[in-house]
Amino acid sequence: MAIKTPIGSLQILYTFTEDGGTLVGSATGRGETVPLRDIRVAGQRTTWKQSVTKPMRLNLDFDVIVDGDRLTGYSKAGRLPRSTVTGVRR
Amino acid sequence: MHAQIVLFDGFDPLDVIGPFEVLAAGGETVGGELTVELVTAEGPRPVVSGTLGLALNATAKLDPSKPGFVIVPGASGPIEGDPDEVDTIPVLLARFGETAAVPLMRKAFDNPDIIVATVCGGSLALAMAGLLEGRNAITHHLGKDVLDATGVNVVDARVVDDGDLVTAGGVTSGLDLALHLLERTYGPRVAIAVERLFEYERRGTVWTPEGDDE
Repeated sequence: MAIKTPIGSLQILYTFTEDGGTLVGSATGRGETVPLRDIRVAGQRTTWKQSVTKPMRLNLDFDVIVDGDRLTGYSKAGRLPRSTVTGVRR
Repeated sequence: MHAQIVLFDGFDPLDVIGPFEVLAAGGETVGGELTVELVTAEGPRPVVSGTLGLALNATAKLDPSKPGFVIVPGASGPIEGDPDEVDTIPVLLARFGETAAVPLMRKAFDNPDIIVATVCGGSLALAMAGLLEGRNAITHHLGKDVLDATGVNVVDARVVDDGDLVTAGGVTSGLDLALHLLERTYGPRVAIAVERLFEYERRGTVWTPEGDDE
């Protein structure tokens, strides 16, 4: 997935797995893997939160629509304007 | 006491010179009890600012064992532009987080005899490096939303005194920051003497956590 941040675009690999009926996820970027919080799935729409420390400390909120092997939506860092994210299934 | 002002590539000159002059004049007023120097994380070197290539000479390496103030300025550079193509101010500030300054700043925070202070985007540089988690702070008005996104509690005041962290807003607030540090450390007479000399008076109320229910 490609994410725009105030300091440039990040390429992040997301992993979602089902663990006893609960969806858990993680995000791997440059030099770190962080867990996803508050993952909610409603049909094709998925939202979650994550906090990254590399390349900068940032709280991010995601709101995406999954369509087959493609994903499009938005990420929002705090009060900053939301930015577009896109991704493909690996 | 020592005031160490930390230069990094792309710093904003006025963020540095404002506190530098105020603290230098304060040092004179208190009879040399306060030394002021420009430092970098790497040691003595000329450092090029973000404004028209103006350079300042750092004369020492940042030493987090010295009691006093460690002051981090912001950066100057393009505000608009795609950060993938243009080195905007947030990009320059984030680079600070990848230098040897970060472990030194962590030591400065751990030293109970040091007050870490920032001007303009200096707080953002520390916050992006993850050093201001949950702290009360301010930055330049254009950077407040980014500061909020880093997990800092953004406080709307020209100078925010959060104990061992004192942050100031945009550029000229560095004068107010340094006058506040003088007043807090040496008393109001020293601050007033410098205000008279520079024909400058602070404005606004310094925020402190007193009376905060959180």
